[in-house]
Amino acid sequence: MDIEKRAQHLTDRLSYIRDIFVGRNGEIIDSLGVRLDSFFQNLADGSMKSPLEELVQLEKGFDEVERLLDSSLTPMEKVRIVRHPQRFCLRDILENVYDNFTEIGGQDEHSIDPSMVIARATITRHQGKKKYSQLIMVIGQEKGHGEEFRNGGSVKPWGNAKARHFMQVAETENIPIHTYVFTPGSFPVEDYPGAAQQIASNLYEMAGLSVPIISVISEGGSGGAEAIALADRRLMFSHGYYSVISPEGAAAIEGRLKGGARATPELIAHCAERLHMTAQDNLNFGYVDRIVQEPCLGARPFHYDFFRTLRQEVIRATDEAVLGARGFSPMRRLTLRRWGRDDTNMDEVFLSWNLSDSAREKLVAKRQKKFLRLSKGACWDRRPVLSRLRRNARESWDSLYARVKFELYTRHRQRISNFMNETLSMAVWLRDRMLYPITRKPVGPRLRPETVRELTTLSTWKEEDESRKGRWAYVSPRAREDRTVTCPNAATHGCLDLWAPDLYGEFAGVCTTCGHHFPMEYQWVVNNVFDADSVREFNAEVEAANPLNFPGLGESIQKAKEKTKLKSACVTFEARLNGIRMIVAMLVGPFRGGSVGAAEGLKFVEAAKLAEKKRYPFLAYVHGTAGIRIQEGTHGVIQMPRCTVAVRRYIEAGGLYLVLYDTNSYAGPVASFLGCSPYQFAMRSSNLGFAGVGVIKETTGIDVPPHYHSAYKALSRGHIQGVWDRREVRANLEQLLLTAGGRNLYYR
Amino acid sequence: MDTNHIVLIANRGEIAVRIAQACHRLGIGFACVYTEEDAASGHLQVARELGGALFRVSSYHDANEILSVADQAGATAVHPGYGFFAEDFRFARRVTTRDRKMIFIGPSWQVIQALGDKINTKRLARSLGVPTVPGSDRPIYDEQEAEKIARSLYEFQLQQGVAHPLVLVKASAGGGGMGIEEVYDIDQFRSVYRSIRNYALRQFKDEGVLIEQRICEFNHLEVQIVADRTGKNPVHFGTRNCSIQSTGRQKRLEVAPGFAPADIKYDFDAAALLDTITSHSLKLAQKVGYDNVGTWEWIVTRDGSPFLMEVNTRIQVENGVSAKIARLNGKPGVDLISEQIRLGLGEPLGYTQSDVSLEGFGIEYRIIAEDPANHFSPWVGRIERFSWEPQPWLSMHTHVPAALDGTPYDIPTEFDPNLALAIVWGADLAEAKARGHAFLDSLVLEGHDKDGSPLQSNVAFLKDRTDGILRFA
Repeated sequence: MDIEKRAQHLTDRLSYIRDIFVGRNGEIIDSLGVRLDSFFQNLADGSMKSPLEELVQLEKGFDEVERLLDSSLTPMEKVRIVRHPQRFCLRDILENVYDNFTEIGGQDEHSIDPSMVIARATITRHQGKKKYSQLIMVIGQEKGHGEEFRNGGSVKPWGNAKARHFMQVAETENIPIHTYVFTPGSFPVEDYPGAAQQIASNLYEMAGLSVPIISVISEGGSGGAEAIALADRRLMFSHGYYSVISPEGAAAIEGRLKGGARATPELIAHCAERLHMTAQDNLNFGYVDRIVQEPCLGARPFHYDFFRTLRQEVIRATDEAVLGARGFSPMRRLTLRRWGRDDTNMDEVFLSWNLSDSAREKLVAKRQKKFLRLSKGACWDRRPVLSRLRRNARESWDSLYARVKFELYTRHRQRISNFMNETLSMAVWLRDRMLYPITRKPVGPRLRPETVRELTTLSTWKEEDESRKGRWAYVSPRAREDRTVTCPNAATHGCLDLWAPDLYGEFAGVCTTCGHHFPMEYQWVVNNVFDADSVREFNAEVEAANPLNFPGLGESIQKAKEKTKLKSACVTFEARLNGIRMIVAMLVGPFRGGSVGAAEGLKFVEAAKLAEKKRYPFLAYVHGTAGIRIQEGTHGVIQMPRCTVAVRRYIEAGGLYLVLYDTNSYAGPVASFLGCSPYQFAMRSSNLGFAGVGVIKETTGIDVPPHYHSAYKALSRGHIQGVWDRREVRANLEQLLLTAGGRNLYYR
Repeated sequence: MDTNHIVLIANRGEIAVRIAQACHRLGIGFACVYTEEDAASGHLQVARELGGALFRVSSYHDANEILSVADQAGATAVHPGYGFFAEDFRFARRVTTRDRKMIFIGPSWQVIQALGDKINTKRLARSLGVPTVPGSDRPIYDEQEAEKIARSLYEFQLQQGVAHPLVLVKASAGGGGMGIEEVYDIDQFRSVYRSIRNYALRQFKDEGVLIEQRICEFNHLEVQIVADRTGKNPVHFGTRNCSIQSTGRQKRLEVAPGFAPADIKYDFDAAALLDTITSHSLKLAQKVGYDNVGTWEWIVTRDGSPFLMEVNTRIQVENGVSAKIARLNGKPGVDLISEQIRLGLGEPLGYTQSDVSLEGFGIEYRIIAEDPANHFSPWVGRIERFSWEPQPWLSMHTHVPAALDGTPYDIPTEFDPNLALAIVWGADLAEAKARGHAFLDSLVLEGHDKDGSPLQSNVAFLKDRTDGILRFA
């Protein structure tokens, strides 16, 4: 009986192997099958002398073959391993790694989102006879060995909201968080909230969460992974993948597939390879801190020794994070070095995971700095060293100057002037009161000649703003064509065809009948919103590159550079709006769809830093963005947490971070550093969300209703704070600069 | 002049007829447009008689269609008439800047734009010392400033002897009577100001307001300006008094010239006043380089203060009454529409102010099927008979076929119910009035609506008002 059960287990292992190696290593696998078949044959007819011996031999044979196959795994095969129903799940980890756990926020299918599991777990460590029980908040996607209601670990927005909620609970209780990433990607629906909106909110939360966060990645698909993976220590399973997009998605984009067409397996495998998504790749890039070794061909629930290893790893990682935050006493430094190096049994040492307030602050600062340091080498930074030094020196001076000016001078000056004004006002009142009997005015209308003159002659009028009405500094080149344009709402709103020179010129791309906004060039906003001649670009020398040597990307980047005369999709500049100086980071649609890679991320982060130093408001003007530049792989996706950290640091320093969407804005950037702003506004021409209509249909099978991503829908979802008319942008922005947030702005 | 031009007439009714006739007189080609509902209008008949091409369009308002018809007709110029595209600077700009350029018979689009903006006009006027209605000449955004202006306007009126001063609060971006409210109690000002400001913000996305004196009891005068494309030598063709209007402030009876100082006694020097407003109008025309025909609208208070209201950058309905009293080098028979086309096509003016003289009095009646007793509500039905006694001192302009060849005519409901313009002339005021009465008495205008009720018209109203013309009522 026992033998049969063990033999049956081998059948499972064989089918697992067959599933992983599709069309490869057929001979070896078949010979294994033949051996297993003959074993069963012999078992059935009782022709074996010692079935147990035979079985052990056979098991050894399996081990050997698995070891052999494991040494030559391709990235695509790793993808299959990670997605296999036999792979271990979060519940297996909860049962085998932790000593005790209570699932919260739902039970099985009775959950707001069964694909996101939250548990309160404990780890008990002992030193001699003493036992220490340590509490942890465990958060992660649950694939449930293929249970349908788990949705393959693809989490809906409210699942991510649940995760964020329990992160806050952990922060209140001052206990560490362990997150486990098992997701092919987030479920891309725009509901209440939308997918992007929620992921951005999670990222923003984690960028400043003051308890240790350890995340372990098995399947890390883009935004869905980032929603719980902005951590102090990031571990990765040796057979996992962490990528900007699933290989199928990348293949669909690379092959320019439309309308349900499928990519060939070769192209998918090719993309899997080119995306550099394995654990080793990500360790080399620095995007994960450590690899957790799995057994050959990936861990399955019966690999108990693997769970022991994992337990050691997560405890060590948590200890490291805690120690790092506590400050370095010589003893701690020594301990840390030892724990990191040798194979101490982490169960037998004890380190309290409670952090003091100052340690919590330090923890957050360390986490933020860690992310800001990432991906530096993945773009082409052609800023001359000397000018960079000069710039740094100037910025430090600016920062010092701002501190002295605002914190010492301005504040005191204000106090003095308030006092003077008050005193003066009282003195005038007293004087008038005393002199009243003498200077009393006669009753009845008594009009001074200058008043009459004011009413009847030309007044002075600074027409600065008025003069912009309909007369724009920048006029689209499309306004030079003598042709008519039909408004897409003509059938429903009865719009007359518009003459292109009027539409793209005076009307600023707005239909005069229904208000439909035609997309315009980014130059329109740059030239018509900011004060004339006030735009000064900086960091223009940072160029988009091809860090993974992705085939074809180099040429298309070159083409985009020639077409747009820009060096990357992100342009950062200083500008003034009615005299108020500000820093602007602009994502330009025509440059590779406004996609964000390492260069764009670097420029964005630098812009946020500069704005903080100078105490300027910081505007992210999103002319358009298609998402993260997938051909840069994790160099791209890491910009999500990275830029979010930069934004959070800026906001917490008392800045005013505004986001303005212009045309189509989707995916990663919206789901992170753009979507987390408290002040997001969209022009009527914009569509925003997580995934486009085609991707939603492809991944979820849902037919989305019309205008699903329109700015007004985003407003209803609470993603943005207002929808603006293009012609009003300047006035609205100015109003916002004067009224919204930011306690540390230079003009306050 | 170059007679190879073809003018597309982008209008209908009476003005289309007159433009077609003017083109014919000038010896240049023309093309007319009409809509399905308007197929019975007399301007089609005139076009057929005079050899103009005809094009059916789906709307008089669709610039795209009008211009493609113009291309099809091989037109070299577009005449907008009045209404529709007449004061649309964008249409004028499009006509003159598109790939296949044409002449817009009217002022250049820059002039239309400059004078189409009331604030701009007011500021231009003030910069030249031309009197305008007291009050602000720029949008006011600040509540305290607004109240200060309102209070001084109130006191200003008290000082001027106005017993019940009124202040108007207008949305500066508004127009056509929208977003205007009157303040009769200055303590009410703030609440009115706020409601207008909020309305303006909602409606026009601009919270600026204008604050002006509300002038009651005034006469509405106009100055007819004519200039050529150089814009340097404008002349005027006298003044008109258009004070007799319907309750909806639509003109019904116009008289040229604007006052009769020889026959009627006014509280002010009327002759000097007419000189003042014509010279002011010319000054402004010269300043903006006005380069076609146009009308300067003035209001004149009972005590004889003139204020420039606005400039109409087009030929007006009542142009004929000015032409009727005008003499060019002493000769009658002036046709301002022909002049407009001639000058629009680039001909030089060819005369100066001293060559223009005025003689006698003209009265224009707008004959309309409506019920003056019932808020001038329009009457709709079929006109069966429409005739009058021809006189050497009378000109009639109509597009109603019943008058042209006796065909019954169903008044289309889509357009304003103006049926005809009758212009009579007299050597003095008494003769003009007498001839007006004689004409109105001889007029036969009969018809029935679909219930069989007889046609209603404003003829009795016009007759009643004839006696009091040019007097301050």
